[in-house]
Amino acid sequence: MPQLDTSTWFINIVSMILTLFIVFQLKISKHSYPTHPEVKTTKMTKHSAPWESKWTKIYSPLSLPQQ
Amino acid sequence: MNENLFASFATPTMVGLPIVILIIMFPSILFPSPNRLINNRLISIQQWLVQLTSKQMMAIHNSKGQTWTLMLMSLILFIGSTNLLGLLPHSFTPTTQLSMNLGMAIPLWAGTVFMGFRHKTKAALAHFLPQGTPIFLIPMLVIIETISLFIQPVALAVRLTANITAGHLLMHLIGGATLALMSISPSTALITFIILILLTILEFAVAMIQAYVFTLLVSLYLHDNT
Repeated sequence: MPQLDTSTWFINIVSMILTLFIVFQLKISKHSYPTHPEVKTTKMTKHSAPWESKWTKIYSPLSLPQQ
Repeated sequence: MNENLFASFATPTMVGLPIVILIIMFPSILFPSPNRLINNRLISIQQWLVQLTSKQMMAIHNSKGQTWTLMLMSLILFIGSTNLLGLLPHSFTPTTQLSMNLGMAIPLWAGTVFMGFRHKTKAALAHFLPQGTPIFLIPMLVIIETISLFIQPVALAVRLTANITAGHLLMHLIGGATLALMSISPSTALITFIILILLTILEFAVAMIQAYVFTLLVSLYLHDNT
């Protein structure tokens, strides 16, 4: 079995590490997965902001000091 | 004869220089990095394949395990493309090298085990003893479970090496037999040739299945430890 000859192990492992851990990952990481185009409603979504329609505490007069 | 059989698994050299680094790097040429807005067919197919595989394989993981997606996807692409390229006639297959497979298996396995001990120490230690063990069996079982933990990366590497090596040897032997039988009895040669064709189809399947199995096992070790 020539696989068990340890003289070539170093170059094998170094080139594998370069390829698998650096080159392949750099290439695969550039893949992009855009979502499918889909129709969106043109209407603005209504935000339910509480300060638009009703009085909040900041508009009310200061509370009287405790007696 | 014995030397001839294994000659194709020796690391190739050219004028004394190891060219194995070029051979191992070669599959990365087949995966061009997309740098356009619209990709070509090859990159689109590769992206679709990676997306399909990652959806299928990473769905069982939690968000911590899913950070390994890039690693596992490049692993399956690397092993798969190397195996498939190795089926070309007269080509050298780097995945028949035990050293390379050990070099892939040990760091990935160690990464998952370290992650388990770092973040889930109790659960990782609990793997050493199955629930409901009789008291007098506990020391022996802990030893056995520890050995089985440390044998995992070796089994991973040897599985890939043995499968690919055995397939190449079998094809080599049956091909040689077909060639020898051609002049003796052509009808028998036809039978061996059909067997050779079927075996080649099987080897193409094995090349992809072994890449999947290697990655799936690393993924399972990761699942146990996250």
